[in-house]
Amino acid sequence: MSTLPLPRLRRPHRPRSERADTLWAMFRRLLGIPVVLFALATLVFIAMRLLPGSPTASLAGGGTNLTAAEIARNQARAGEALGLDQPLLTQYGTYLDNLVHLRFGESFFGSNSVLGLLGDALPGTIELTLAAMTIAVLLGVVTGVIAALRKGTWIDTATRAVATVSFSLPWFALGVIAIVVFGVWLRWLPVLGRLPSSLDYRPTTNFVVIDAMLQNRPELIGPWIQHLILPATTLALSMAGYITRIVRASVLDVLGDDFVRTARMKGLGESAVIRRHVLRNSWLPIVTVLGLQFGSLLGGSVITETVFSYGGVGRLLVQGVLQRDYPVVQGAALAIALLFVLVNYAVDVLYMILDPRIRKG
Amino acid sequence: MSDHTGTGLDAGRTGPGLGRASSGRWAARLRQRGIGTSWPAMVSWVFLVAIVLIALVGPLLISADPVRQTNAALLPFGSPGHPLGTDDLGRDELARLVHGARPLLFVAFASTALAAVVGTGVGLLAGYAGGAVEQVLMRAVDLALAFPSILLVILLVAAAGPGTTSLVIGVGVSLAPGLARLARALAARETARDYVVAARLGGTRTPRVLVQEILPNIAGPMVAQIVMTLSVAAGFAAGLSYLGLGIQPPTPDWGYMVQAGQEFLYSAPRLVVLPATLTLLFVVACNFVGDDLRDALDPKGSA
Repeated sequence: MSTLPLPRLRRPHRPRSERADTLWAMFRRLLGIPVVLFALATLVFIAMRLLPGSPTASLAGGGTNLTAAEIARNQARAGEALGLDQPLLTQYGTYLDNLVHLRFGESFFGSNSVLGLLGDALPGTIELTLAAMTIAVLLGVVTGVIAALRKGTWIDTATRAVATVSFSLPWFALGVIAIVVFGVWLRWLPVLGRLPSSLDYRPTTNFVVIDAMLQNRPELIGPWIQHLILPATTLALSMAGYITRIVRASVLDVLGDDFVRTARMKGLGESAVIRRHVLRNSWLPIVTVLGLQFGSLLGGSVITETVFSYGGVGRLLVQGVLQRDYPVVQGAALAIALLFVLVNYAVDVLYMILDPRIRKG
Repeated sequence: MSDHTGTGLDAGRTGPGLGRASSGRWAARLRQRGIGTSWPAMVSWVFLVAIVLIALVGPLLISADPVRQTNAALLPFGSPGHPLGTDDLGRDELARLVHGARPLLFVAFASTALAAVVGTGVGLLAGYAGGAVEQVLMRAVDLALAFPSILLVILLVAAAGPGTTSLVIGVGVSLAPGLARLARALAARETARDYVVAARLGGTRTPRVLVQEILPNIAGPMVAQIVMTLSVAAGFAAGLSYLGLGIQPPTPDWGYMVQAGQEFLYSAPRLVVLPATLTLLFVVACNFVGDDLRDALDPKGSA
């Protein structure tokens, strides 16, 4: 492959190699990432500056028995330290400069560095959302295929009804009911946190699987999966509903087609026909759903993490908002936005690999 | 309106004989208009109407104070004077559940209304004006849609401080872009039609064209989409008040009651189960009712 072709204006279209096309399309998408991130960062900045009860008020000890003059003096001092006395445009410049250099500041409470807090929390969120996506795809594909093969029976009707309902289930209600049923009544699964506190876990990367391998501690895996099942399934259900419907439709779409008949005629077993020929048509729409729904999944993880006291970015964000901990809110919001943008990019790339028709677009 | 472009629940529709025997004349009339044609939709309508009625008049009928704390903490089901027991601060659980429906209902309906007004307004303007106005408005809509909506709501609510008003604004603003996109598409289609061209040539002023000519003609699919938005708004509202961003204690609210009850999962799981189940059923009912209304209002499925 030679150099990447540059866009030429007012020249007749020249056919390019397909590979170069794909790479070019991926590159163009890559250029869009900083733009979106910049817009998101600005939005976060504006939201932060609009917050009432300015950060200096909580830092200066409002509510304690200091005199008004002392509070005002503390407030001015805190404002100066935070740079809030500068003009807004200067603040914005400083903010962007800090972002580019990954200086997110320190939490107001306990002065942990925000970068450190994010480093602890991000792996948890990534584990949770990946597990949820996996469960959603498994659940969705299995129920979708069953519904399609049993089309018109009560199994089909019931599956579709559950799938429809599952779109709109509020995560927190689902989560706490799962906690009560499986944790409190049946006592099958643990309900809080990422790992039992009895386990001595010293994170290296904070990804439990990777750490278990690095530290040669396979005994971490079992409890980790147990802790992941309920929150990940709670989060997965709404996405699974979409996938069920898509898989059902696309299986029904091709079930009568010639190539399926051919595959059966050459003696392929029914499960191989479904796996190799029928489901292949479903992957593209499934990837679309994963991309479209990932934002909602991230939003759901904010709530699910809180329900299950699961250490992740979402919980960090909520705690930050409730405590008016500006640097933490800002850092967590940016981390979530970054995760969102990157996954959408990954989905786009996957899409281009799966479907050659999109590369030109 | 017998052709349902619906969501696959048609198979559960009540048979004609059964339906007529068990319900009154106006239920049959509603069904003629395409409302309440499947049993989940029927059940959902009844549940939703019941919840709204309870939220409206329930607090007047119940004498127990939902906020007053007593020493009788964590009484079980069926205690004298407290049929559903009391919470950790000795407050009557039944009274709290009845009063606690109000904030959720208010936020769900008010934020949907806000989203409807803002979304329809922006979309109508963009679709009618076209050109630069459309570009600017719709790029803003794209940006808002590209942002994970719950993050947007949390930031907006954080910016305005927790409370019912900021919840309404946050949820409303985050749901408006989706409606704006539909309104723009519908309005652009209508703007090209002869009757709009005629009205403009006849000298009708722009606001009048928008409100009196175009709006009535896009209202069907718009309303259909708006009622679908209601269940999303309800889910958002409940989730955010669970996080503590909604109405502040001691005012009872289902979402926050679940969070507060989580401390007593083992000793009094009902403190979590009751409000969580009611929220769940409410959101699901909104969803079915929305589906049902959409099929009735927009049989062609343009929304």
